[in-house]
Amino acid sequence: MFVNKSMTTRVITIRPEDSLLQARSLMTEHSIRHLPVTDEDNTLVGIVTDRDIRSATPSILQDDFDSAKERERMAAATVASIMTRKPAVLKPLHTIQDALMIIQGKKVGALPVVDENNKLKGILSVRDLMRAFTNVMGIGEPGTLLGIMVEEKVGQLKRIVDAITEENISCGSVLVAKHWDETKRAVFPYLLTNNVARIKKKLVDMGFTLIDPMEWYIDRLPKSE
Amino acid sequence: MKRTGLLYDDRFLLHDTGPMHPETSDRLRAAYKGIEEAGLLPNLTLIQGKRMSQKYIEQVHHVNYIMRLEEACLMGMCEFDYPDNQMCCETYDTAVLAVGGVIDTVRRIMAGEIDNAFCAVRPPGHHAEISKAMGFCYFNNVAVAARYLQDEWGVSRIAIIDFDVHHGNGTQHIFEYDSTVFYYSIHEHPSFAFPGTGREFEEGIDAGHGYTLNTPVLPGQGDQEYKMLIERDLLPAMERFEPDFLLVSTGFDAHKDDDMSGINLSTECFSWIMETMMALANKYAGGRIVSILEGGYSIQRLPELVKNHVEILLKG
Repeated sequence: MFVNKSMTTRVITIRPEDSLLQARSLMTEHSIRHLPVTDEDNTLVGIVTDRDIRSATPSILQDDFDSAKERERMAAATVASIMTRKPAVLKPLHTIQDALMIIQGKKVGALPVVDENNKLKGILSVRDLMRAFTNVMGIGEPGTLLGIMVEEKVGQLKRIVDAITEENISCGSVLVAKHWDETKRAVFPYLLTNNVARIKKKLVDMGFTLIDPMEWYIDRLPKSE
Repeated sequence: MKRTGLLYDDRFLLHDTGPMHPETSDRLRAAYKGIEEAGLLPNLTLIQGKRMSQKYIEQVHHVNYIMRLEEACLMGMCEFDYPDNQMCCETYDTAVLAVGGVIDTVRRIMAGEIDNAFCAVRPPGHHAEISKAMGFCYFNNVAVAARYLQDEWGVSRIAIIDFDVHHGNGTQHIFEYDSTVFYYSIHEHPSFAFPGTGREFEEGIDAGHGYTLNTPVLPGQGDQEYKMLIERDLLPAMERFEPDFLLVSTGFDAHKDDDMSGINLSTECFSWIMETMMALANKYAGGRIVSILEGGYSIQRLPELVKNHVEILLKG
């Protein structure tokens, strides 16, 4: 699960000497919020975000917003004047887990990916991570999600998977959520079938509790102590 | 009393899905029993399954898919595309007779022989994609009927209303670029139920944008929520679209005693839904409505549900 498998490799970049107006049009045109800034050797020298652009732009409530004079000023100002130099970066062999933790820790929306010589190789955004998890969760594949409450002890998942296998059902994914209850976990198998009545009954007969779908969650905010 | 057609054929029982499958021939026996025991048969025009020209099926399904299904049957395969689709050597013929029977049924309405009809068919159809069988469905019966009505009878605006508890992914995908067929579906929310499509932001594409409408319903909901949502979403949509013909994908699996879903409708609510469909047909389409069976797996509840359904058609 390395960053280089999920990152966008055809990166839209900008040069430090380009104008803010160019940066803004690139972002609008490609619906993106981050532009890595590179020099002529494709070396990363900074990053400019839509927030940087907005900070350098008058408020939309002001009269001169997007006026000819304002556009002139934006055309004269360079990306170098507002970009973040030495931004946080990822390496191609950072893992997706690394990326999640870095993005969460640094509170950024995207990270440029560079090699050992600081050459730009790609960019990994929150959107790329969401796509990866959409894939892992099997969203878009035809199937049915179940929610099962299990005791926190070894062997529970095996019993569930065995029961599913006995019913000749393919499993698209299995999510396990921690901290469901003090002593419980919630297991969410995504079954690639429309035919779930039998397996649901079987799991109940085996002593498992099916969780009311309206009570499902895979995450909740940390308890405030 | 209306001249109501009933498409039913003992040959629809021959599609055998094996011992562990919910989509069984007992479903159709239960449906027929409900009609027979209520003494409704003498009032109905019986229509049988019929082999029609393959060209009608090809208006929806790719010819390679049709041949692939036939070959799978000839080779004695017992599963097709997904393990959900259990089959036997009669499956292809049954599906051909069912979809042909549905075509013949809508033809009779256009020819003025009957006013409306219920098609008690299997295999069901609304999950079937252009080139893929899904969710126990092989040929998309309702989609083939819609294309036939357009191509052979020049019907310009067709509404397909799908109240099976599962989203009709196949029907939606077949018509999502099309502004001449309006597809409406109300179903259990796709994050909780098969097949995982039919979210409220799926509204059709390009020229078809605004001609697909989905109402996902959260698990545990019942009559009140369904009635409110149908009135909120479907009725204004039909007011705008003014269909010339109503095709209904009828599923009884949102019933509270049906273990295929988390939706809890009462028997009475199914009557309310069908009366609402009938009222729409009368208001916009001169009463032209054909209901085609999709899901519904409670053998105990099907006789009464189907009896009520057919009585509403007879009443008009």
